[in-house]
Formats: sequence, structure tokens, C-alpha cells
Amino acid sequence: MKGIAHFSIGVAVASCFPSVVRAGADGNPLGFLLGGIFGLLPDTIDFKFTRYFYRHDLEVVPDPLRPNARMTADAVALAINRAYETGRAVRIKLAPVRLAADAWRRYEVEFDVPARKVNVRFGPAVDTSGNELSERWGGAATEAEAALTAPIKIEYFARLTIDAFDGPVLTMEPQSDGRIAVKFIPWHRTWSHSLITSFLAGLATTWWLGPIYGAVVGGAHAAHVLTDQIGYLGSSLFYPFQRERVSGWRLAASSGAAVNLVAVWSASLLIFWNLCRNMNPAPAGWTGARLALYGLMIPALLLAALTRRRLRAHRRRVADGR
Amino acid sequence: MVTCTTVVLASLTGALAGSLLACVPGLHVYNVIALIVVFSVRLGSAAVLPTEALACAVIGLVVAYAMLSTIPSILLAAPDESAFFTTLPGQRYLQDGRGYAAVWLTVVGSLAGVMATAAGYVLAAPCLLPTVWLVFRPHTHWVLWCVIAFMLLSEWPKGGSLGQAGVHKLAAAWTSLGAGLLTFLLSAMLGFILLHRSPMAPEAAFQNLMPAFIGLFTVPWLLLNGLSRTEIPAQRIEKRIVLERRTFLQGALAGVLGGGFAAFFPVITGGVGAFLAGHATALRNDRAFMISQGAARMVYYAGGLLLLFVPGAALVRGGAAAMLRTLFTPFDRVDFWMAAAAMLIAAASVCLLARPLTCGVLRAMAVCGYRAISWASLGLVALIVFAVTGLMGVLVALVAAAIGLIPLLCGARRMNCLGVILLPMACNLSGFGPQVAAWLGLQ
Repeated sequence: MKGIAHFSIGVAVASCFPSVVRAGADGNPLGFLLGGIFGLLPDTIDFKFTRYFYRHDLEVVPDPLRPNARMTADAVALAINRAYETGRAVRIKLAPVRLAADAWRRYEVEFDVPARKVNVRFGPAVDTSGNELSERWGGAATEAEAALTAPIKIEYFARLTIDAFDGPVLTMEPQSDGRIAVKFIPWHRTWSHSLITSFLAGLATTWWLGPIYGAVVGGAHAAHVLTDQIGYLGSSLFYPFQRERVSGWRLAASSGAAVNLVAVWSASLLIFWNLCRNMNPAPAGWTGARLALYGLMIPALLLAALTRRRLRAHRRRVADGR
Repeated sequence: MVTCTTVVLASLTGALAGSLLACVPGLHVYNVIALIVVFSVRLGSAAVLPTEALACAVIGLVVAYAMLSTIPSILLAAPDESAFFTTLPGQRYLQDGRGYAAVWLTVVGSLAGVMATAAGYVLAAPCLLPTVWLVFRPHTHWVLWCVIAFMLLSEWPKGGSLGQAGVHKLAAAWTSLGAGLLTFLLSAMLGFILLHRSPMAPEAAFQNLMPAFIGLFTVPWLLLNGLSRTEIPAQRIEKRIVLERRTFLQGALAGVLGGGFAAFFPVITGGVGAFLAGHATALRNDRAFMISQGAARMVYYAGGLLLLFVPGAALVRGGAAAMLRTLFTPFDRVDFWMAAAAMLIAAASVCLLARPLTCGVLRAMAVCGYRAISWASLGLVALIVFAVTGLMGVLVALVAAAIGLIPLLCGARRMNCLGVILLPMACNLSGFGPQVAAWLGLQ
């Protein structure tokens, strides 16, 4: 989910507490702020702190002027083969290729599991949003492949795209069945996305600010963790008792427009409903059922009709990626 | 009693004047409306125009500005606080020789915004707005605080992608984030000073924030354009721009949602609304983004003004509504329908002016050169600030420009400059603004 969806859901969790709503009406924004901040905090911790301390063994830095697909493919294969030979995990960082302040060379790394090879393709120049840029950046597409000595297991997507800002770290980890698991950004969604962490954060806040704020903090954090399970990557739900990420439910991609819009809209309706029902007197004619019908079900049916074709295409892509 | 002829003529007059004035870099429609209000008050408003006609003219001005101020924003890189998001993709289009297409994408978005505003205004506002406002009225302060928190938390680090992990990598990543936070705090400090101990003359008090906004958003881009030896290729006047339905719908939806959010909640500007909606709809396509910016600006400016005319609610949103309220108070459904008609008439007429005005500005750029235009725009902006607010206003604009340069030079988010109004107003709405001002030694 995008950050605004998590933030909105966190605020919606806060709005479920009548005392927070009353405090908000009296000029105290703290409950809602805590809900929003802790709804977003897990990803903030990972992307703004944790990843800068995650060490890697190999780093691939393609030349922006002469990107070498052969070198990149060989490096990825080296990481997998070394993990297989030594029986120890190997971490490889794939760096982005910056061309200018707002221009990047996009490249793809694709793992061909049955054929035991890795393909690398350098593609067009793109901007920060991923839109292809004009021909003036030049550079012909290059492609290469490298053979793998080990069988591999994909935990996320078989094809990874590296373009703007930063590239992923992949951990090639030997499994008990002899395969090498390719773990995508292994520093993400570990302790920061654990329900145990939600509980502890709630407990600490309870000690500091009281039980209501503690429940808001714990609830908003847990809502983020559970919402992330809708996607593909999953989280270490019970870290430190279980360190492996529990795979997601694969219902939607986290960057999908529809799922984010539905999440933000639903959270907004829940906030509105909670504000309504805590008013004295409550506005006449506004029942939960009516709000759900006009605010949620009818727009959802419209959206489903509009996106039906895209959902089918998405399911075909999921089937290909497994 | 207002007649149809009056409504049509007044709307068209406002639209024509607004269209021409929208092409002047650095001139905001609120500055023009402020001058109209001052002029009307001094003369006695009835001596100028019937107040209903004045209201229609103001609506025409606002609609024209919302639709066509993207011309200087994109072509001259001179945005206001609601258009700064448009500048970066607009400059990319400009460098590809497609500035004309960029302007038209935002105009198309504005048209979508007009249609959505009209539909929402007529169909939903009278029955929904009074109740929704009743529910949210005591809670607007924490909505603003949440917007600030999300704005600051959602900025991504832009460095630290190379090299081994460690503190140095964290420091490299946090350079841009730190610059963003610094920008927010400095602009917030400027906002507190302007609101609680303004250095400007009392006669210019009604335009207190104008030099700050111009300094924060308009001056830095123009300055960098002039200094950087940027060369713009010849611009193509495209006869046909192909737009996919999905791109249009996604951009329009994002813009309408964002603009509507900004129009409804006080203090939140169109740019912030568009930013939030862009995140909510996972907007990545450049064309959809440009469309969303146009839609958001229209819904924010025109929709916000029209909220004044909704029976039973009569919300004052934005500078135009606040200033118009001093001369004219809508009170029945005739005024409600008059406002809707004025908006639609103005929008239709402004569409016809979009092409000649865009071509005119492009011709001027081709003749005079981009850098010369940037320097001339900078001079004009300085002149406008001086004329309206005096020497002290120019000094305020210079200070604001120094703050506005930080995000441009350090790769941080320009939206953080909105701290000039967001943080002081959030403190005021929560009831502790004077206390914060006292801590800062401003009271």
C-alpha cells in the first residue's frame, strides 16, 4: 500500500475511539496524529533508516554511459552460485543508473527458474515517476544472460525492475531442500512489521500517555502490518519468534491505483462515520447502513466494473510470475 | 434583481480580463480581486457595478486564472503555490519542445474540473455540504496537522544509493530530507513573523502573504532559469493531442478529489490537495499528472469560491470568497444558480482563448529567448510586489526566495515551503498559535 493509504487507515483507527474524537473536537489533535504517524511508521523506519545499515557482499554499479548487461548478469549469477557452493547467504546490491537529476536508465533482472539462468536487459531512460523519456538520452537496449549452477526459488517476482532512486538488495539464501531462495529487499518488513512490535509500541505508549493512546498506537501499527499482507511480499508477523516473512495473500499489488483509492476512501468514510456518531445530537438521516451503501458499495460496484478487465490481466500476470 | 444579460456580460468580462492577467507571471488573481475590492469600497460598490454583476465578474476572473495561469507556470516556470507541482513535468515537456501540449493537458484537466464542480455543486452540495461541514467543523485543526505530518513523513530520501551500508550512507540519504525539514521550519518561522509581527506597512496588510508566496514559489525558478543558461528548443504547436481515456479519467479523478479536499478544508491549497490525491490514486503517468493538476486547480479555486453560494452552508473558502464577501452576500437559490451559470459561461469562453494566448506566449519566447523572458518575468514580479506592498514587501520576498532556493538546490520537496501558512494556521486553529508566537518572541 502507498503511504497515504496506511496513514489514512491509522487515522481511521484513531477515530474509532470516542475519547479521541471528543479530544479532537476540543482542540487536541494528538490522538489522530499518533494514529496517522504510527500507521506510516513501519515503512518510515525501513526506508529511511534500516536499509542504510543493511550490509551487502556484492554491489553492481552499471556504467551510465556504457551499461554492461553481461557484467550485471554475471554478478547476479555469481551471488547465487557462491551461495550454493559455500552454503552461506550472499547479499547483492543492484544500484540504480542515474543519467541526470531526473533521468534514470531502467534495467530488468529476470530469473528463469526452469532454465536456471538470469537475464538482464537495459532499457530506456525514464524519469522519477517511471515515464519513458525522449530519444535524447540515447543508448541502445542491451541484453545478456548468465547460467546458474543452482536451482532457485523465487519469493517475490521473477522479474525485477530497477529505475529511479535506488535499487534492491537481494539475499541469495540456501534452503534445506538445496535450492537458493532469492529474497527481495530482506531488510524490509522484519521487526518493524511485526505484530509483537505493535503490541510493544502500544504498551510503551500506554505507560507514557495512557491506555487510549496506547491502543491507538498499537492498533494503527497493527493495521499497517495486516494491510501489507494483502500484497505479495508479506511480513515477519511474529518477529523475533518467527524471522521468516509470512507470504502475502497476493490479492493486489501495493502500488495499484484501485486498491489504494479504495483504502483511502474507505478510511475516510469510517472517519466521517465515527465523527458523526460521536456528535450530540448526531446528524439526522445519517446511518451507518446508508453511508455504506452510498459511500462504499455503489462506488465499489462502479469501480469493479471499470477495473474488471484489468483485474483479469493482473491475475494472468500473477500466474506467469509464479 | 440580476438579469441574464448582466450575468453573461459580467462573466465574460471577468473571464476575458482574467485570461489576459493569468498570463502575467507572478500576478495572482487574489491580488487583482483585492484591488477591485479596495476600489469598490472607496467608490461605493454600487457605483462600480451591481454587486451581483461584480460577483459574476469575480467568478469569471477566478475561472480564467485557474485554467490559464498554467501558461506562465509551465512556459515561464513561474508557478504560484498551487501550481508548483506542474512546473517540473511542464519543464520536461518544454525541453522536449512540447510546452504547448503540456498547457493543453492542464486545460483539459481544468475542463474536467469545471464539469465535476458544476455536477457536485448542483447535485450534491446543497444536500450534503451543510451536514458534512457541521460534522467536520470542530475537527479541521487535526486534519491540517495530519496533512502536515503526512507531507513531512512521505518525503523520500534521494541519496545514499551507492556504497556499503553505514552512517555515511544514512547521512547522504538524509541530506535532502534534512533540507526539506529545514525549508518547512524556516518558512513556518516566516509565516509566524508575517502573521504576528508583520514588517509590512498597514496599507499593505491585506496582501501580507503575497510577497512570501511569490518569493517562495515564483522567484527561485525564474532565478535559476536566468542563471542556468537553459536553452529551450523550438516549441511545436500540435494540431492534435491524443489522450487515452484511462489516462484522462485517472488524472481527472485524482484532480477532482484533491481539489475538492483542498476547497472544503481551510488553509489547504490546491497543490497540497493534488499531491494527496496523486498519492491516493497512485498517479505515475505524466499526462495523467498534468491533467490532475489542472482539475485540482479548477476545483480548488472555482469550487472553493462557489461554496460561498451554497444555501445553508455559505462557506468562505479561499481569498476570493473572503474578499467578495465584503461586498456581496449571497442569500437565495437565485444566487446559487447565478454562480453556477457564471462559472460555466466563463469556462466556455476561456477555452476559446487558451490557444491564442498560449501561442502568443510561445511566440514571445521564440522572439525574445527563454532566459530574457525569465529575467523580464523576474523584474515584473519584483515590480508587482513593490507596487502592492512596497519596499518591505520586496525584502520579505527576498528572504522568502532564499528559503525557496533551498529545496531546489538540495533536491528537497518544494511543497515544504507551504509551511509558511500550514504551521502557523494549524497552531491557530488548535488554539495555541498566540502561545507559540509568544515563545518565538513575536508577542
